[in-house]
Amino acid sequence: MNVATDTALSRNPMGTGSRRGDHIATAIVWALLLTMPFWMPFVGGYTELAIRIVVMALAAMALNFLLGFTGVLSFGHAAYFGLGGYGVAMTIKYLVPSTPVAMLVGIATGTIAAMIIGALIVRLRGVYFAMVTIAFGQVFFFIAFRWNTVTGGDDGLSGWSRKALDLGFTTIDLPGSDKAYYYFALLIFALCVGAMALILRSPFGRTLIAIRENERRARFLGIPVDQHIWMSFVISCFFAAVAGALYALLSNFIDPRALRWDFSGNFVIMAVLGGMRSFWGPLLGAAIFVALQDYVSSQTENWMSFIGVFFMLIVIFFPRGVLGILKRSVTK
Amino acid sequence: MSQVLLFNIFNGLIVGAFYALMALGLSLILNLSGVINFAHGGFLALGAYLAYTLMPYVGFWGALLIAPVLTAILGLIAERILIRPLYGRDPLYSLLLTFGLAYVLEDVSRYIWGAQSVPFSIPGWLTTPLSSQFFFLTGYRIFMVILVAVAVGGLFLILNKTRLGMRIRAGTLDLETVSVLGVNVRILRNLNFGLGIYLAGLAGVLAAGMLGLQPTIGTSLIMPSFVAIIVGGLGSLPGTLLGGLLIGVASGVTTVYFPSATEAVMYIMMGLVLLVRPRGLLGEEGRVH
Amino acid sequence: MSLLQVENVSKHFGKLVAVNGVTLSVEPGELRAVIGPNGAGKTTFFNLISGFFPPTAGRIVFQGQDITKIPEHKRVQRGMARTFQVTEIFPELTVRENIRVAVEVADGRRLAPWLSKANRGRLEARIVELMEMGDIAPMADRLVGELSHGDQRATEIMMSLALNPKLLLLDEPTAGMGDQETYHITKLIRRLHKEQKLTVILIEHDMRVIFHLADRIMVLAEGAPLAEGTPDEIAANERVQAAYLGKEHA
Repeated sequence: MNVATDTALSRNPMGTGSRRGDHIATAIVWALLLTMPFWMPFVGGYTELAIRIVVMALAAMALNFLLGFTGVLSFGHAAYFGLGGYGVAMTIKYLVPSTPVAMLVGIATGTIAAMIIGALIVRLRGVYFAMVTIAFGQVFFFIAFRWNTVTGGDDGLSGWSRKALDLGFTTIDLPGSDKAYYYFALLIFALCVGAMALILRSPFGRTLIAIRENERRARFLGIPVDQHIWMSFVISCFFAAVAGALYALLSNFIDPRALRWDFSGNFVIMAVLGGMRSFWGPLLGAAIFVALQDYVSSQTENWMSFIGVFFMLIVIFFPRGVLGILKRSVTK
Repeated sequence: MSQVLLFNIFNGLIVGAFYALMALGLSLILNLSGVINFAHGGFLALGAYLAYTLMPYVGFWGALLIAPVLTAILGLIAERILIRPLYGRDPLYSLLLTFGLAYVLEDVSRYIWGAQSVPFSIPGWLTTPLSSQFFFLTGYRIFMVILVAVAVGGLFLILNKTRLGMRIRAGTLDLETVSVLGVNVRILRNLNFGLGIYLAGLAGVLAAGMLGLQPTIGTSLIMPSFVAIIVGGLGSLPGTLLGGLLIGVASGVTTVYFPSATEAVMYIMMGLVLLVRPRGLLGEEGRVH
Repeated sequence: MSLLQVENVSKHFGKLVAVNGVTLSVEPGELRAVIGPNGAGKTTFFNLISGFFPPTAGRIVFQGQDITKIPEHKRVQRGMARTFQVTEIFPELTVRENIRVAVEVADGRRLAPWLSKANRGRLEARIVELMEMGDIAPMADRLVGELSHGDQRATEIMMSLALNPKLLLLDEPTAGMGDQETYHITKLIRRLHKEQKLTVILIEHDMRVIFHLADRIMVLAEGAPLAEGTPDEIAANERVQAAYLGKEHA
């Protein structure tokens, strides 16, 4: 990676501003992730919570690929997340009892849906784009909700479980061990995050950042902006579908709420909370959000009011996100 | 069969009228202030519940008059305190804020009035069918259609004939010029927001009489309102009205032939419209920013 | 053959006629200025040439091919670059990154997932070359958004130049600049025009800039061509004086 390419991603990863700082920050992130199942109990967590953080972080980082690095707001990413989940659940339940095959089906389903819907909406911008993504997100919610016989309707799809991973020389007991599933999920997370980082550092990734910075200039450099936004949307939804597949496998269950707009909103708030201009921000946002959700819903019935006020407070007081604030205080 | 179809078309028209009433308010706010008001459904529910609470004291007609006004006042306050600081920032933030506000409003409704649906009584003479053959033509349904028509007519009258309305329309086209001409844009946006919320409150009172009243009433109506705006035309109020009625009727008709696709059909319509006209049926052509 | 031929183009916005039947032909290597009082339709005319929006009537031919209906990014790919009245750059990227995006796109690599070492070196050299040509190399690693107006403009021009354009459209390149910066940008344009044999069309308000640079001048008034000729001819033209003086000294 040459110096100059790093500056495009910038001032990014942890927002420390220096390359060395970025490398240190990245190393710390990975060290924490690799050991999470072991230190989680000491901070009051448990392995399943760790998995949920990784899964939600992947979804939020996928969304942020579009939001933070292409400058396009989708408020309907739950659709592709949920399709990934339903693809997995239905494949294992009805077709092939295999974890990797089911994941491929789930991811393909979400991605194909994104390709079609993306083509319909890619000419819109700003609030209008956001509104159309919200509306389209609901299609799949209603399909899952109404098509009882196949999707289980409102009750969701249960009665299936993730299968052991047969690698030929050994078998990994995904269903029996939470830790095994954590590391499986983390491996997928690492592959996805690595891929996203590589894309963002490529000439193609730079055109996306260029579009975020100034669409008109990008257009008049000869970049077909609609096409690039479509590609970014599909890539982003692809990774969201991966997260959704992991999410369904985590609890061996999926229901229509995973497709609904409140999930989409959660992904956006995670990205904003962590800092959408930074690569790792959504991970931090997801960790805070998931831990808080776990704690608050065990304490009170009024999760909705809490989350609602939480959204408003973030918008009013932390619009730049936690890492945005850190970055500011470091550069000052 | 044809009577069932007729019933569902008529029913769809009424439901579509709700969508339109709500979507018109959303459109007003979106066009002038660039805010997607996710809390619109919450305000609708608030309007309905306020009417429910007032009814024992002032009767149905009193509640119909007062509740939407009270809702609008709450809207003015919410705009002033929460949304105004976000103008000029990325629309992402106002969207997230109203998203949070929607949660809060729904939960508050549930806290005050309970999670179960409450009885929302309308005058008896309005509920009797007007004709034995067309059993669905109750007075209330006819009355609702008329009232929505009056409300929409009133809105367009305000927009076209009053000073406030003309400023709102001018501001939608070119806010900067309007502000240079000495109009206080902050007050304009505030009043415009109130006007939009008034329509939501009105829709709430009417909807409660027909669909029953529970805290989720707003959430169930907001998505179709988005669809109505997109189908009818981004930035166009007549388009929004048309879009609401269209998807209402389309859902009504689908209920007859393919009940499980009742909701999906409006999204399919939306997809088809976007395919042909990216800005919706009556939206201006060109790139949308 | 003319590089650009604009044939009788008009643009209506509703009832407003912004450009009314303008014809223009520009020869390779020429530096043509378009002037006119405020509201004369100069920027609209530019927007028509560059494909910002389609004309209501008329035809635009570039290098012998009709481009009236093709989208802006394809016009860029055919060799037409432009700058804007309000500088359009990538404010939160460095100067180097701004130029890099343009260089990579110009090299046909907008979709490339990676670059080979050889390509990276070649493109890097091109970036440095462009920055030096535009006198912006000293601030290579500063954010463009933090630079002075003149340096931002220079960056924008160099980004356009990175596209190896056959025709460069400059919309009021010195708008809002002080004397020092105006001088600097004028010098840059002159140098690029002379050294690179670049064909340029320029909208400008500052008469000193125009008379210093332009080979030929077209005057627009109220959307229609009023006069065309060499700077001396235009300076002597009574109708032009009337249009200008009438507007500006009234």
